[in-house]
Amino acid sequence: MFTPRLFKFLTYTGLLAAIVLLMASGCSSGNHNEAQKPDVDPPAKANPVAEVPVADDTDSVEPVLASAKASIKPVQARPVVLIYNFHLTNRCSSCIAIEEETGKTLENYFAVEMKQGRIVRKILNVDDKANKKIAEKYEAFGSGVFVTRVFQGKESTTDLTGTGFKFARNKPERYREILKNQIEEYLK
Amino acid sequence: MKKALIFIALTTFSFNSFAQQQDHDTIISNNPANLKVQVLYFHITNRCGTCRGIEANVRKTIETWFSMELDSGIVELHILNCELPENKQKAEKYEAYGATLALTVYKDGVELNTYDITDWAFQKAHNPDLFIAELKAKIEAYIR
Repeated sequence: MFTPRLFKFLTYTGLLAAIVLLMASGCSSGNHNEAQKPDVDPPAKANPVAEVPVADDTDSVEPVLASAKASIKPVQARPVVLIYNFHLTNRCSSCIAIEEETGKTLENYFAVEMKQGRIVRKILNVDDKANKKIAEKYEAFGSGVFVTRVFQGKESTTDLTGTGFKFARNKPERYREILKNQIEEYLK
Repeated sequence: MKKALIFIALTTFSFNSFAQQQDHDTIISNNPANLKVQVLYFHITNRCGTCRGIEANVRKTIETWFSMELDSGIVELHILNCELPENKQKAEKYEAYGATLALTVYKDGVELNTYDITDWAFQKAHNPDLFIAELKAKIEAYIR
């Protein structure tokens, strides 16, 4: 009944069937992995929320968030304006006028910002050794008035010395106007 | 004793005259038809060292580098006290109510532009070599 030819046929057919089954099983397994991907938890780094301890209710979340916020280095939210009046020990009338008119400008227009600390003014004698470093930074070898904006670690300075000498004594309203505009610009 | 008193009086007189001469107005204008650059420096009566230093630097620049142009009228030098009544009109024109350095450019006898370089002057006043070199370059640019 089982001729060698029939035996050969059955053997090949069986082998073929086994190969087909194996391949089908492999494909099915691959599809299963892909389908599971969305269910896999993403790495912790990709989702910082995962690092915050899970809380049961809103009230208990607050302190956690507050502590997280506190750990972040604060960024300077608004610019600070520094005003330096440099002078020598022996002063001329223009130099004195610059200092006086600078004071009037700050009192009249920027009293609030001065109180808030958003404007800081310093009157410094360049002949005093204690002021040597800051005088060198501004290249102030005699009388000078400088307005500096400090914001997020960066500084920009406007030298109003020439303007001061030109206007402060005999046209003070003009000096005050220029200084006011410069400060307003730097407070933005 | 008498001689000593006379000597002191003469010395004091000569020093006072010298000091006053320093602040006399200076106007050097040799041939307005040739004028290309007018160098104007205004100051007040009571002056500080920086203000005097700027004047000295300006004078030295002109004397050293532009004596020929000054003689021919291409460059003019005006050093004026802005608080004197006779200079009031000119001071107002240049808004020179205190120490002010300006360069006015002329062409064919017509005034073209004025460049106020007061801020620059105060920044460079304490470095005479740099002041003179940069002022020289500024003037040269306008007389070409």
